[in-house]
Amino acid sequence: MVHFAPQPVQQPFATARVVEGDRLCAVRVGAAEPAPDGVGFADGIQRWSVEGHFGLVPVIRAEVAAGVLVRARGTLSCTVRRVEEFLVVPAGRLAAAPRAALERVGLMVREADAGPRPHPLVDRFAAAQVIERRREALEREACGAFLAQASEPLIVDGGVRGLRGIPGAERAIGVVKHHETQFLDGPDLEVALTLPEGERSSVFTRDLDGGGTTLSWYLRLWPWTDEDLLHGLTRIERLAQNGLPADADRVSRWLMAERAPIAGRDPRWDRLLYPLHEVETLLRAQAGGWH
Amino acid sequence: MALTGTSQAPIGRVVATEALPASPHQFHFWTALDAPVGIGAIVRVDGGGRTVHAVVTDGRGYSDLLTPLHDVVAAEGNPGSVLPPTRRAEIRLWTAAVLRQEPAEPVQPVPLADVHMADAHDVEVALRMDTYARGDERTAIPVGLYSAGGTRAPVYLDADFLLGPESAHLSISGVSGLATKTSAVVFLLNAIFQHFPARKGRVAAVCFNVKGPDLDFLDCASDLSAEDREMYAALGIRPDPFAAVRYCAPHKPDGVNLNTLRTHPTLIDSVEPLVWGLREVLDYAEVLLNRDDIDAKADAFLDFLADRVVGKPFQDEWGGHHLVESFAGLEGLFRAIFDGLEQASGRDIWRTHHVATIRKVRNRLLNVSTRCKGLVTDDAEGHDLPFGAFADRSVYVVDVAGLDQLGQDLVFTRVVSKLREHLERRDLGVENVVVFVDELNKYAPADGPETYVRKMLLDISERGRYLGLVLFGAQQFRSQVHRRVVGNAGTTVYGRMDGDELATPGYQTLSPATKIRLATLPKGELMVRHPHFTQPVFLKFPRPAVLAGRQGVDRYPPAADVPFADAVVRQLLMLDRRVTPGRARDLIAGRREDDVRRALLATRRARPADVLAFFAARLGAAVGREAASAAPAAVTPLRRVEDPYAPK
Repeated sequence: MVHFAPQPVQQPFATARVVEGDRLCAVRVGAAEPAPDGVGFADGIQRWSVEGHFGLVPVIRAEVAAGVLVRARGTLSCTVRRVEEFLVVPAGRLAAAPRAALERVGLMVREADAGPRPHPLVDRFAAAQVIERRREALEREACGAFLAQASEPLIVDGGVRGLRGIPGAERAIGVVKHHETQFLDGPDLEVALTLPEGERSSVFTRDLDGGGTTLSWYLRLWPWTDEDLLHGLTRIERLAQNGLPADADRVSRWLMAERAPIAGRDPRWDRLLYPLHEVETLLRAQAGGWH
Repeated sequence: MALTGTSQAPIGRVVATEALPASPHQFHFWTALDAPVGIGAIVRVDGGGRTVHAVVTDGRGYSDLLTPLHDVVAAEGNPGSVLPPTRRAEIRLWTAAVLRQEPAEPVQPVPLADVHMADAHDVEVALRMDTYARGDERTAIPVGLYSAGGTRAPVYLDADFLLGPESAHLSISGVSGLATKTSAVVFLLNAIFQHFPARKGRVAAVCFNVKGPDLDFLDCASDLSAEDREMYAALGIRPDPFAAVRYCAPHKPDGVNLNTLRTHPTLIDSVEPLVWGLREVLDYAEVLLNRDDIDAKADAFLDFLADRVVGKPFQDEWGGHHLVESFAGLEGLFRAIFDGLEQASGRDIWRTHHVATIRKVRNRLLNVSTRCKGLVTDDAEGHDLPFGAFADRSVYVVDVAGLDQLGQDLVFTRVVSKLREHLERRDLGVENVVVFVDELNKYAPADGPETYVRKMLLDISERGRYLGLVLFGAQQFRSQVHRRVVGNAGTTVYGRMDGDELATPGYQTLSPATKIRLATLPKGELMVRHPHFTQPVFLKFPRPAVLAGRQGVDRYPPAADVPFADAVVRQLLMLDRRVTPGRARDLIAGRREDDVRRALLATRRARPADVLAFFAARLGAAVGREAASAAPAAVTPLRRVEDPYAPK
C-alpha cells in the first residue's frame, strides 16, 4: 500500500504580534489582478510503502519530488523538478547481511531514528519523518533553483520558513491552507476567522526558532457564510527580510486572481490555488507507478 | 509538388485504460494541442516488435474541469469576466482504427508506444498499396491525394478490384452541387484511361448524360489552377481532356435538331444522332411496361409480334397483307385487327390473344413513338452506338438529358443490354466498359416496383465484373439505391453528405466525427472505401481537366434550333462540306418531312462518297400533287333514324 504522508501536526499555538496598526483588523485588498508573467508556483509530493521486513524491521521505499511551474501567457510549464527515491530503515537495527542486500538494490538507504523499544509501527512513523524532511529539502532545492534563475515572485504551497537563507527568498509567497497552528486569540482571532471575501487581516509577525521572522496575514478567497469558518481562508506567509511588506495588498490581489480556475478535483479547492494543484498533479503523474 | 513526409518526432503516445483499452483494431492516443492530427489522418505506431498503421476516426478534448458549475463559480456567474490567469490543463485524445499491422500474425492489441504521423511510405503500406502499386504487375489507378499533417501522398485503387475481375463497380454518393460526384468520376475515368495496364485489355466508357450539360464537354480543356496541376503531377496524370469522345443524342421532336446542349456550331459536328426504329424498341418493350402490364399474356403477344410479324410478310385473316417495319406499319396491323374483330361481332380473341391485351400492347408501343419522338423514328432502321467497333480509351456520351423518364429508361436499358451482349460475345471492340450513370436512385431505387431497368442493373452489379461490364453509379442518397446494387460496388466514394442520410443505418459503422467530416467536406475532397483499405480514407482530387457542364455552356452557348430545312442542310454539310446549301434546299423544298428525315438518316448511316447524290436518290422523285376533282364524290346518305332521347 502506498502512503501519501500527511503534514505533521504543528504546534497548536504560537505567539504572534500585529505589526500593521495597533490591533488586527480587516483590510479590503481591492480588485483582483494577475501576478506578473513568469511567476512561479512550487509544491512537493511524497509517498512511501513498506516493501518488506527483515524480521520485525520494516524496509520502507519512498519517493519524494518537488517542482516549480512557471506561468507565461496563461500556460504553465515545468522549469524545475527534483526527484529522489530511497529506502528507509531504522538506524542500527539491521545486520550486515540484510544491509548489504539492501545496498545492492541500487537505491540510497537512509536511516530513521530507532526508538528504544523496537516496534514496526513506531519505525514507520520515524521513517515518515525522514521522508518528510527529504521532501522539504527537495522543495527548498527547487525553490532555490527558481529564485536563482528568475526575478519573478514564487508562490509556494505551504509556509516559507524552510526557505530561510536562500537568495531571493523574499520573493517567495507561502500560501498556507491548514490552520492547525493558532496564532491569534480573542478579538483578533474573531476578526481573522470572520474576514469577508476579498479582505485580508492586518499583517502580524512571528519569530522563528533559530532566528528570523515571518510576516503573515489571513486572506479570505471565498465567502464563508453558509460554509465553514475556514472556508476560503488562507494564511499568507513571507520572510520578513526587508521589514514590513508594503505589498500585502498587491500580493493579496494576485492571490484573489488565482481563484479561477478552480481546482475542483481537490476537496480543498477553496484554498488550493489551481497552479499549485497543477504542480502536484504533474509530480504525481510523472512519478507514475512503482518500478 | 514534391511529396512530403513528416519528421520522425512522435506526435503522440498510445494510452490504454480499463475503460479505453487498446485492441487489435482500435486504440487511443494523446497529442499536444497543436499537433497536426485530424479526423482521417493516418498515423504509425512502432513498439513491441510491431508496426501499426491506423486512421484517426474520432477525437476528444477536455480539461480537468470536474463540472461546468466550477467554471460558473470561478467566473462568479459572469461569462464576460476577466479570463483566469491560468489556462486549464487540456487533453487531445484521439481514437484510431487500425489499417494494418506488421507482422499480421499473431493478431495482438496495439502496443503502448509513440505515435508518428504517416509519411508517404507509411500511407502506401497502411493502405496495402504496396501489393499493387509497384513492379511489373502494377495495377494502380490514382484516385486522389492523401493530405494530412504535412504529408501528401498519392492513393491508388487496384484496377483488378475497380474494373474486375476480383471485384468491380463504383458507387459515389453525395449532395448535389457540393459533392462533386460528376467531377470525381470524370477525373477517375481520365486516370483509368491513362493508367489501366494495356495487358489487362482495352477499356472504354459509356456515360449517360441524364441532366443538363454535365458531360457534354469532355473533350474541351478547362483552365486548371497551379494547385490543380501540382496535384495532377503528384498523381502522375496528364491534365488533358479526353482525346477520343463520341457524343450521341436523340433528335428533338422535329426529327432534325439534336436534343442536346452541345449544339454550339463548333461542337455540333461531333454529335451523332441516336435514332431507333421499331425493331430496336420492340426488343426492349418490357421497359415500356409497368408492373401491372407484365403478365404472360402481354409477353406472349410481344413475342408473337417479334417472331412472326415485325420484318416479315404477314397476312391477317381478313385478307390484309402486312410488312411491319415501322411504327406506322404496326399501327396499320393493329387497325386491321381491331377492324376485323369489330366486323366479326362477338369475337374478342385474335390468334389466342385477347383484344384487351392487344390494345394494351398497342398503347404502350405506340405511346413511345409519341413520347420519345426524336429518339424513335418511323423508319425501319436507326442510328446507334458503334457496337462492335468500340475504341480503346474512348468515351461514348449518350445524352438523354432531354428525354423523359420513359425514354431515358429505354435508352439506358438497350445500350447496356447491347454492351452486355457484345461483351459476352467478345466482339464489342474493347474488353472492359465502364458505364457511368448519374441519379442511380431513379434507375435502381431501393423501394418501388420491380422494373426491367432495375433487374438489369442488379444483373450487372452481380455478374458484370466477369464480363468486363463495370457500373459507376452516382446518387445523392445511397440509402435510396437498391442495396444489392450498392452492396456489390467494390469501391465506394462519398462526397459532402446530407446529415439525414448519414443518420440512416448504412452509415452506422462510421464514427460520429467521421460523419461530421463527411457532412462538411469541401468540394474536391472525398472519402473512399476500397477492398484493400480496411478503413475509409479521405482524399483530395484536382478539378477535372475538362470543362464542367456549366463552364462549357458559358464558353460554347447552345445554338438555337433552326428551321427544318436549315437543320437538314446543316447535317448534310456535316457529312460533306462540298454540299451546296442551295441545291440541298431545292431538293427538300415541298417534300414531306418524314421522307426527308428518312433520306437523311439513310445518308448518315451510309456515309457515301457523294452525300448529296445519295441523299437525292434516297429522297426519290417528287410526286406531283393531283388536282382535286371539282365534282364532289357521290355519297349515299345514311338512313335517318329516330332518336327517342333527342330533345323535343
